[in-house]
Amino acid sequence: MIRLDNIVATYTTQRGHVNAVDGVTLEIPDSIVMGIAGESGCGKSTLMKVIYGDIGFPLSLSSGMVDYGFVNERGEPVTTENIRREWFRHISYIPQSSMSSLNPVVRIRDQFVDFPATAGRKKEVLAQVRAFVPKLGLPPEAIDAYPHQLSGGMRQRIMVAMATFFQPEVILADEPTTALDVVVQKSILLLLLDLQKEMGNTIMLVSHDMGVHYQITQKMLIMYAAKVVEYADTDDLFQRPLHPYTLMLINSLPTIGDDRARHGLPGSPPSLWEMPQGCRFAPRCPLATALCRKEEPPLLEHERGRFSACHYAASVPELKQTLQAGPRLSEIAHDTAQLTADVERDV
Amino acid sequence: MKLAQYVVQRFIGYLLVLFIGITITFFLPRLMPGDPINNYISQVQARAGQSLSAEATQQLRDSLAELYGLQGDIFTQYRNYLARVVRLDFGPSFTYYPEPVSNILLDAMPWTAGLLITTTLLSWLIGNSIGLIAGYFNKRRWATILEVVGIILYPIPYYILALVVILLLAYWIALFPLSPTFLPGPMTWNKAVSIIYNSFLPALTLILAGFGWNVLAMKALAVATKEDAYVQFARLKGTTDRTRMTNYVFRNAMLPQITALVLSLGFIFNGAIQTEVIFSYPGIGMTMRAAAGAGDYNLLYGAIILTIFSVATAALILDLIYPLFDPRIRLGG
Repeated sequence: MIRLDNIVATYTTQRGHVNAVDGVTLEIPDSIVMGIAGESGCGKSTLMKVIYGDIGFPLSLSSGMVDYGFVNERGEPVTTENIRREWFRHISYIPQSSMSSLNPVVRIRDQFVDFPATAGRKKEVLAQVRAFVPKLGLPPEAIDAYPHQLSGGMRQRIMVAMATFFQPEVILADEPTTALDVVVQKSILLLLLDLQKEMGNTIMLVSHDMGVHYQITQKMLIMYAAKVVEYADTDDLFQRPLHPYTLMLINSLPTIGDDRARHGLPGSPPSLWEMPQGCRFAPRCPLATALCRKEEPPLLEHERGRFSACHYAASVPELKQTLQAGPRLSEIAHDTAQLTADVERDV
Repeated sequence: MKLAQYVVQRFIGYLLVLFIGITITFFLPRLMPGDPINNYISQVQARAGQSLSAEATQQLRDSLAELYGLQGDIFTQYRNYLARVVRLDFGPSFTYYPEPVSNILLDAMPWTAGLLITTTLLSWLIGNSIGLIAGYFNKRRWATILEVVGIILYPIPYYILALVVILLLAYWIALFPLSPTFLPGPMTWNKAVSIIYNSFLPALTLILAGFGWNVLAMKALAVATKEDAYVQFARLKGTTDRTRMTNYVFRNAMLPQITALVLSLGFIFNGAIQTEVIFSYPGIGMTMRAAAGAGDYNLLYGAIILTIFSVATAALILDLIYPLFDPRIRLGG
């Protein structure tokens, strides 16, 4: 189990300090796929950096640390202090810009053996890599190629191969498929899932795509303005969200056969510089009351394994009913046609 | 095969460039007003202080026309000219008559080539190493000091730099000779040592003058390259700074620098005129300056064609070796 204890991650900027992750406490069970969602700037990527242990100027950890729940070669527990030495041994990373994350002028096989973990046994490792890549749907010769000779999907499979080859306990994937077309996206995600099932690693997946989260993840973490607003099993969270923000994220997701107009989220997240008092989501929340604007709701376990940071978590299912009674697209289209006709007659 | 096709294409382009360059050097002087033969004759007359007889003038005219290759109509001249260029026959030098121009150039060439190839390579290596380190560690204070070396050296005019070096190392601290003396006779161990010793000052000034630019260019390239996604990912892989600096940043940032290096090697037969004159160094630059001063057209022609040849050859070599450094060209995309 990975424990995050009151993580506060701060960026030092010219305007001063700003907390991109502001007090996150979490327990992530082993061998699950956990999704992280939220709008841009909510702190997802910063949280990933903190978990990966990539903390360096301008990012610093003002409070808390991560306990990974496994030990290193010397039997010491691995925490934020010493995680850097375990990179790609016990924790690996699939980057966002996977298309350009390979050195263009060096053969892929040479990029497979410049990890500190492979120092001094490159030949042996390379033979293992050659045996390993067919599992990822790649020909063994693919590692002899230069990156530009492979397609986007193949390059992404190489990144997945790198991230899984050392069988790390934890794999972090920051929007690993954003640059790929939908068909390739799906095959890559399924591949990652297969490998995860076989090796039993914990995967943390950041994605804007709620559909991907629904299909792939077992647990979901919803972030808003540097805070966790909801954390629950994916199925529960999608069926009966306990935070209005989660509900509105899900509602923006189209479903086949449902022609109701999608509800976008009105407004935008608050600037990290001018955080509103009380609940950070209150200015955009249909349930917000005076209490919300005054007092920040803590992340509480409202039901077993269901965490939500909302004063009115219990009312969210009701809100869902109200929102679903919205007008159908066909009705809106009818209204628009009527309106156009009216305008034309008046002219 | 793709490779053979690539090489043949480049080679045809190379021959074409040579042909066009040589043709232009033939026609360009003929577009100028005036006639070199008349010029020369009037010079001779002015010097003689009296007019020559018409017969003597005509004789002089004919022999000069033969010497300059100006007999017959322009197409005959052009054909003869091309035939002579192919045989590397540029006629005799006027100043060192009857020594053929090609011999004079061949004598000067090793001096220039030796000095300039060595210094160009050294200043590339030193400049790029310093630039790479300064760029890769650009957030550290000590790296800024490295860059300052480049910023200070780059804008100093060469002649000032050379004079300062001479003052410092040949006058105040008389470590090296002011102008070189080279032993005659066959190459021996002693002669080689003396050549290196005597060439040290000119070489030093050329390296100092050349590497500032390399430092600045490489620094800028390294700073940009180290932010590229593949270098950032390599950092997250846990690779050492050394691996990232050499295999990731340098391997990519050096590509434009290799172009610059090979092209500057192509220009070495222009000679380092300033260097050779300041240090009385017996290279092509010195020869060209003397030829220009004495109106030695044949020698100038020869030197210009040597330049065309070496620039075009450098470009060909660049085309042929570049794929070794950049697989995207070698293997298509």
